[in-house]
Amino acid sequence: MELTDSELVQKSQAGDVDSFQQLVSRYHQKVFTVILGLLRNREDAMEVAQETFFRAYRKINSFQGGSSFYTWIYRIAVNIAIDFQRRQKRNPLDFRETMDQAFEEQNEVARDPFSDVHDKELRSKLISAINDLTPEHKAVIVLRTVEGLSYKDIGEILGCSEGTVMSRLHYARKKLQEKLSAFL
Amino acid sequence: MNSCAEIKESLSAWMDGELPTDKAEAMRLHIASCAACAVEQRKLERLDAALKSVLVPAESVGFDPLWRGVRARIEERRSRSADWIEWFRSRLTVPSLAWAVPIIILALIGLFSVDGFWPGARRAQPNNFASVESIDAYGRDVALLREDETKTTVIWLFQNQEGEDEASGDNAQKGPTF
Repeated sequence: MELTDSELVQKSQAGDVDSFQQLVSRYHQKVFTVILGLLRNREDAMEVAQETFFRAYRKINSFQGGSSFYTWIYRIAVNIAIDFQRRQKRNPLDFRETMDQAFEEQNEVARDPFSDVHDKELRSKLISAINDLTPEHKAVIVLRTVEGLSYKDIGEILGCSEGTVMSRLHYARKKLQEKLSAFL
Repeated sequence: MNSCAEIKESLSAWMDGELPTDKAEAMRLHIASCAACAVEQRKLERLDAALKSVLVPAESVGFDPLWRGVRARIEERRSRSADWIEWFRSRLTVPSLAWAVPIIILALIGLFSVDGFWPGARRAQPNNFASVESIDAYGRDVALLREDETKTTVIWLFQNQEGEDEASGDNAQKGPTF
């Protein structure tokens, strides 16, 4: 019988690394995707994802079960990713190339060349616009768009109210729309 | 909620399904009858689709390489803790403990006698309580009471009867007389 998150957390708190490994296997994909959405670079995302789970392991005893495990792990991931982003201040050019490359791999199927040009340009502008968002605005966009999380969950992860989440999402989308007005 | 400006403010939350039912229904009715707001809605839908295409990664991340990195960090931390424990244990030998006892005693003696060598060294702040200095003045004792905070000085003259009391064995009257 498969153990629940709560049972695995309890076993991990007792020092059982195998139980913690199971938790990591459950959430590694989602956590990695959110971090990649924030950092836009696979190597950095891998580094931050590993650090996220390592910190979660170190702090597992402080997890009281007041929120769900995934909210807790996302909170750690987003905080580390935002710190990382602020520290690194990566060159936007690196980021653009990386994302373009990723998109090419994703869309290898041949399509209408005019549509391709339009899409490429849109992508390029969109990536640039995302890059210009503040880490807090970027975080709400990623958590909502990639994970489809509710405002309540996003608020718990970012440590703010649902109203703040709503307002941040509204302004982040508005900023993106302004920069992409020619394409939408 | 009737104006298009109000609708645009809440459009994002409405599309995310985060508005209360009555408000959401009012939004739906407005958008169904307002071409401008319907256009705004479609723009937001296109933006969300574009965001998904950019933000959702093409390929998943492998569990094994990620876990190897996490495991390595856990092991490294464990070995670091183990190194500290080992280092501490290696120093907990009988001779080192035998040396530690007199060192601790000396340190305590030094701590308590520091005032003797360096008066006031352990005092954190000036003494605000009364200080008494007494001298013998022609058979009488003089006591000075100074209180720093209010700058008050009291000069106190009294006859010391300690010697007489001891000689007479009378313990009933103690302390100075005026």
